Amino acid sequence: MTLKTMTLTAIVALSSAAAVAEEVRVYNWSDYIDEDLLTKFEEETGIDLIYDVFDSNELLETKMLAGGSGYDVVVPTGSFLARQIQAGAFQPLDKSKLSNAANMWEVIEDRTARYDPDNVYSINYMWGTTGIGANLAKVKEVLGDDAPIDSLDLVFNPDNMAKLAECGVYFLDAPDEMIPAALKYIGEDPNSMDADVVAKAEPVLTAVRPHVKKFHSSEYINALANGDICVAFGWSGDILQARDRAAEADNGVEIVYNAPKEGALMWFDQMAIPVDAPNPEAAHKFLNFIMEAQNMAAASNYVYYANGNKASQEFLEEDVIGDPAIYPNEETLQNLYIKEAYPPKVQRKATRMWTKVKSGT
Amino acid sequence: MMRRFVLIAIPYLWLLALFLVPFAIVFKIALSDAAIARPPYFPQFDWVEGIGAFLAELDFENFVWLTEDDLYWKAYLSSLRIAFISTFLTLLVGYPMAYGMARAPEEWRPTLMMLVILPFWTSFLIRVYAWMGILSNEGLLNQFLIWTGLIDSPLTILNTNTAVYIGIVYTYFPFMILPIYSALERLDGSLIEAAEDLGCSRLQAFWLVTIPLSRAGIIAGCFLVFIPTLGEFVIPSLLGGSDTLMIGKVLWEEFFSNRDWPVASAVAVVLLLLLIVPIVLFQRNQQKQQEAEQ
Amino acid sequence: MTIPVFEPWNDPEAKPLIQFQNVTKRFGEFTAIDDLTLGIYEREFFALLGPSGCGKTTMMRMLAGFETPTDGKIYLSGQDIAPVPPNKRLVNMMFQSYALFPHLSIWDNIAFGLKRENKPKHDIEERVQEMLRLTRLEKFARRKPHQISGGQRQRVALARSLAKAPKLLLLDEPLGALDKKLRQDTQFELMDIQEKTGTTFVIVTHDQEEAMTVASRVAVMDNGKLVQVATPDRIYENPNSVYVADFIGDVNIIEGTAKPTGPDQYDITWKEGAEPLNVKSQNSFSDGQTCHLAIRPEKVTISADKPADADNAVQGRVLDIAYLGNISTYHVELPTGAVIKAQTANTRRIARRAFTWEDPVWLSWTATAGVLLAE
Repeated sequence: MTLKTMTLTAIVALSSAAAVAEEVRVYNWSDYIDEDLLTKFEEETGIDLIYDVFDSNELLETKMLAGGSGYDVVVPTGSFLARQIQAGAFQPLDKSKLSNAANMWEVIEDRTARYDPDNVYSINYMWGTTGIGANLAKVKEVLGDDAPIDSLDLVFNPDNMAKLAECGVYFLDAPDEMIPAALKYIGEDPNSMDADVVAKAEPVLTAVRPHVKKFHSSEYINALANGDICVAFGWSGDILQARDRAAEADNGVEIVYNAPKEGALMWFDQMAIPVDAPNPEAAHKFLNFIMEAQNMAAASNYVYYANGNKASQEFLEEDVIGDPAIYPNEETLQNLYIKEAYPPKVQRKATRMWTKVKSGT
Repeated sequence: MMRRFVLIAIPYLWLLALFLVPFAIVFKIALSDAAIARPPYFPQFDWVEGIGAFLAELDFENFVWLTEDDLYWKAYLSSLRIAFISTFLTLLVGYPMAYGMARAPEEWRPTLMMLVILPFWTSFLIRVYAWMGILSNEGLLNQFLIWTGLIDSPLTILNTNTAVYIGIVYTYFPFMILPIYSALERLDGSLIEAAEDLGCSRLQAFWLVTIPLSRAGIIAGCFLVFIPTLGEFVIPSLLGGSDTLMIGKVLWEEFFSNRDWPVASAVAVVLLLLLIVPIVLFQRNQQKQQEAEQ
Repeated sequence: MTIPVFEPWNDPEAKPLIQFQNVTKRFGEFTAIDDLTLGIYEREFFALLGPSGCGKTTMMRMLAGFETPTDGKIYLSGQDIAPVPPNKRLVNMMFQSYALFPHLSIWDNIAFGLKRENKPKHDIEERVQEMLRLTRLEKFARRKPHQISGGQRQRVALARSLAKAPKLLLLDEPLGALDKKLRQDTQFELMDIQEKTGTTFVIVTHDQEEAMTVASRVAVMDNGKLVQVATPDRIYENPNSVYVADFIGDVNIIEGTAKPTGPDQYDITWKEGAEPLNVKSQNSFSDGQTCHLAIRPEKVTISADKPADADNAVQGRVLDIAYLGNISTYHVELPTGAVIKAQTANTRRIARRAFTWEDPVWLSWTATAGVLLAE
């Protein structure tokens, strides 16, 4: 037996062993899927699904850039996806294996193409907006009945914030979200990649900084729901979750979400296959499964986020498709902006500015 | 002869594999440049181009950068300050507890010791989360204080430096108690009696005899608290406010938010250099104590 | 010219420096000191002697102030010391473990008590120097306790406790940690220092030889009570009980019944078939009363032939010989089965020894050689 045949035999033996226990590893955001779908996928395909969760883009990106994560499908947000594509972290999708591709919604695909040109590397899973969650009763108590709960004025006007400080305000600890919002408030281009324009956000943020109780990207769900705070600048689905938790707890807390009328950031969580995925074949099967209209609808119905799947819309429940906080109307949709990844130099400036805003240093 | 050599070599191999090699890797990254790539820095070692070309790409730019932005030295200073204050507070809390334990009836001591160690049986993270529940505005502490009528409106403790100090003292006090306890337990009770017999009040005897004789334990405890506190990340990020500036958080931000592994590595290298001073001092103290005991 | 005898305890005018008055100390259920009354006089070298657990250490700790009496009072110079804390008492203690401060030099150990008095620096230096000279430690002043020998440490402890010139110095088994030779030297040194400084010493010991050597008076204690308080010679020659006789030195105890035969004269009937013993005793006994004759081995003479005019003579054979170098103790078994010890000085070389194992011998003693005790 030559060395070559020996190697071949080994490879065959290994791949047949893999075929016996075929598995696909998916790494998604926490609380971001209807778990019945996972069982359904296993039943339909006979592939073992190993499902892990994360709660920050930064964590995911570190794994992607370090390589060898062992995952077959991951779900980064648009601007992170763009950078990871640039770093060569993903493999192009084989569209021939995605028979459900036609279900996708071109309105969303047009936008995600800004991060992933021609949507070569990713499909949209969910999308949403970044806006204002408010504890209606408390905000009205502090600011009166005409409190601007649907305006950036609520969170960037120091007068309003000084009053809101007594009932508590949380901001996202994410410069990529907060800087564009501050720029929007002063009428600048929120998607500006110009360091000088980005710098203009600093005085806006610094002016309200003393009135912000905490910068954090997930604690506000609980804090809003149990009445610890009255305003959070955060992600739509999270705030809606806070709304539901408060309603379930029946603690008299009523939470509302509004995308700011001046314009809100629209973000996209994209499913992609790492370049070193152990089982890209199964990964494609998983993507195709998710792209099936009914499956996608089940996911949205469960997590209260909009998806990029046009065909799924007929299966969505009324309180999802009919809620403008989830599926904004045409007019609002036009008002949403997206933000691309900063180049490294601007990114450093933005992060530095953010640290300065938060810590005063 | 051979056997002896192997015996001596084992700890050094251990040190080499688990400390020097990782440190060399981190140091190498600190000398690289950030890049959008996998992994996100440049240069990567390449067998074809050889080691010379590889080394030529390395420079100290990132260390220079650390001196240019005041964020870093402010963070180091702030970490040092927080570490000093928390070490002092831990000593303040830990010493009386260790003293009480060492003076407790002998049959109680194993139980007391167990109580000190018991929290280690649950995850550190869960215990810090529990403190979030206790210290928050709607938390147990505020509810209790309002119930007793001491305060009318909740105190803001969570997300302040106070919460960070509480968290650090809580987490690290066993490290303070154990060495002090072992020093105090060995303390011959007749020394205190001798001091009193020679004219000391209780308090004087404590200052002139108990404290100096537990000095080695105090020093060991302080270092065991100070060293990990300096680079602490979890406690300030969970209990601290946005203005709690600690080098551990800065490092995290460099690594995750800026994806600048080289600068993050440079921060880590400097942190290590900062820690070497207390670690060497600690080592000296241990050695001196051992010599004194012989 | 006669040397004035130091016997304040015999002087009804003398006031004791320390007075225990009906002192009782209980630890929970355990009674350590049981209704004890005792006076100790100035300049005395007083020994508390007894087995461990007899209460001697408790007495000392009450004097130092580390324990307070459960009942009764202790006076120092006529003053009740119960409310005075240890650091305010003019009493210093030398601890069994020496309790030298390991973090301080010899010099600082000795100066420790003086510094607490806020004396001028110059006075402290002078006093420490004096103490170092007294205990011959000048060379070691800068060393730490772990850098000197056991005997030197013992002297440091003594110097430290004497530095404040206390009215009363307590010594808790001060020589226990020293080997025998060093202990004997140190005993004389202690007596010398006590004499030089004129301080009242109270020493606690379980070593009867030590107590006999150093003390002006010895108190033998048992179960929290004083059994006998007397000068060493009286304790030895005239023990007031079998307990004391047995505790101090070697003794033969012969149990029997007394029969008065004249003034202070008794016949002691003992062992079946043995002749009654002829004893003179100050202690009086009634006819038929049980008594114990305590007789020291060195007061028993051993001879090959029956001595002509001995008050008491018994025959037996040598069972065992304990050779101690300067003296030998013979264990002689009588026909009745009783064993009596006799001691003789080894004035001749061992090869010339008069008696050996199994030799028949006569033991004899005078009527006044022993002490007749009730119990």
